Amino acid sequence: MNIALLSHEWLVLLLGLGLLLADLWLPPAARRKLGYVAALGVAAILLYSILFVRLPAGGVEYAFGRMYILDSLALFFKRFFLLAALAVLLMSVEFAAEIQSGLTEYYALTLFALAGMLFACSANDFTLLFVSLELITISFYILTSFQRARTLSLEAGVKYLIIGALSTSFTVFGIALVYGTSGKLNFQDLAAVAPQLIGNKLFLFGLLWVMVGLGFKIAAFPFQIWAPDVYQGAPSPTTAFLAIGSKAAGFALVLRVLFTAVPAITAQWSHLLIVISAVTILYGNLCALPQRNVKRLLGYSSIAHAGYMLLGVAALSAAGQSAILYYLSGYLFTVLAAFTVICLVMRHAEGEDISRLAGLNQRSPLLAAAMALAMVSLAGVPPMAGFFGKFLLFKAALAQGATQHGYYWLVGIAILGVVISLYYYFGVIRAIYWPGNAPDPSPIPVSRPILLSIYACVAGMFFLGLYPNPVVTLTSKAASALQAETAAIHATATLPKAPRAAWTRSLLGPASAAPSRP
Amino acid sequence: MNVGLGHYLVVSALLFALGLFGVIARRNLLVIYMSLELMLNAANLALVAFSRFTNNLDGQILVFFVITVAAAEVSVGLALIVALYRKRRSAHVEDLTAMKL
Repeated sequence: MNIALLSHEWLVLLLGLGLLLADLWLPPAARRKLGYVAALGVAAILLYSILFVRLPAGGVEYAFGRMYILDSLALFFKRFFLLAALAVLLMSVEFAAEIQSGLTEYYALTLFALAGMLFACSANDFTLLFVSLELITISFYILTSFQRARTLSLEAGVKYLIIGALSTSFTVFGIALVYGTSGKLNFQDLAAVAPQLIGNKLFLFGLLWVMVGLGFKIAAFPFQIWAPDVYQGAPSPTTAFLAIGSKAAGFALVLRVLFTAVPAITAQWSHLLIVISAVTILYGNLCALPQRNVKRLLGYSSIAHAGYMLLGVAALSAAGQSAILYYLSGYLFTVLAAFTVICLVMRHAEGEDISRLAGLNQRSPLLAAAMALAMVSLAGVPPMAGFFGKFLLFKAALAQGATQHGYYWLVGIAILGVVISLYYYFGVIRAIYWPGNAPDPSPIPVSRPILLSIYACVAGMFFLGLYPNPVVTLTSKAASALQAETAAIHATATLPKAPRAAWTRSLLGPASAAPSRP
Repeated sequence: MNVGLGHYLVVSALLFALGLFGVIARRNLLVIYMSLELMLNAANLALVAFSRFTNNLDGQILVFFVITVAAAEVSVGLALIVALYRKRRSAHVEDLTAMKL
């Protein structure tokens, strides 16, 4: 096994452990600066990844008995997560004053969650899927409730814990059923036998339950209950990481499971995916309308965005998958810009009401502009990243409209959702620029690293909106890895289809005939 | 009586349903958390049974991971519930009302 294959993961883990060790010898006053060390380390790993990590000629490499896969999709997501973590760490340094104790642990846990995401996007087996998902989720339980003195933070942590653990048990039970009926845990092995199991109720049930756990991660409709509360209660940098990192990891796994492990079954689930996508969009946008708390509003808006991205999954095409990756890239810059501003403006505020943004334009024109641009991009107004991402998603869904008219309805509902969302996004912009009396008219100091991060996010939003070509090339290459693997599986899967009624027999399997009893 | 795969699966499904019922019906966080553990163990039982009856060890390896992860989850979860109890003097879900629609 090639240890260099996992270089991203172990470098991040070493960085996290190194921080914990450094904490022992540093005076408490210097610990805040460790966040910069962590951010620098992540930046160095990102640079190393871009400059030195190359895929082999075949475009794909495996480790741990094909449990771990490194292909262009995994590499795309790894760089994506590193970029997100970099901005989140810079944000956490600004937030440090709000965290009473265990500041270094906060940085280290962010890095451990990052390691979980790096593993998740390389998962090629249900075992690694489960372990990486849990590494992310358990790190986030702690990160969410890190402000132990704040009731909101603790309450958000407990709610996340209960609903997260519930969805985990569904996932494990689902994996058990999938494993029991197919005998496989590896995605590619599963793809070879999945076409025979199309009629097997237990197998489909298991897959559906695995999707419950993934739906929880991306906050899709029936599993979105936790999102608003957790977004509101968690410390702002955690909310940002949850909004972008955790969601993207969920989507990476959804793509892997649906399009690598069981493409034959996904093709039959288009109705289900269309309905979930449509309801998620409507739920997120309608519930966001009456919200007055900015973080809660972004929580509902993140549900709506999960719905838009599910549109790309429902499209069942390479164009749709590529559009999801593009949308996520735009979402990365947009959400990070928005949360950086929230983190700075509402640092000392107990409530995060929209009215606290009043007069932001006088206090700091830069932050006001960044927040306004982020809202414009989230709403999907033309020159920004959000517009082009939505355009690609809708285009992918419309291209499938000829096969099934449900896609036209879905795009119609998505456009309705965009129109609804204009109302609450522009409500935030109005609060920023409306010449009202600011609750606290003092100017907001912006440190240099944060300034850099905000400029980078704004540049990213404009770049993805105005010059989509380079990133579209990148995302379609990453999505094509998914297609190539699927094609390879179909080439090898020459097994004949079993008759539908045989599912009870295939449940037990021929090997089960005589298990030697002790 | 010959105990087959079906029996194990029925027990596992019953345990899972029992756990789910506990999560939905009970009002104490600790009991809810216990029920969640029951659900995880139901899944473990199913995995081991499948693994045994198909002569395939992958499932049992996954069970080791599930047990380890569940232990980590419990330690974090109990710490969280204790922290909340200290703050609110209550471990009942009715009191988790600081945030509402």
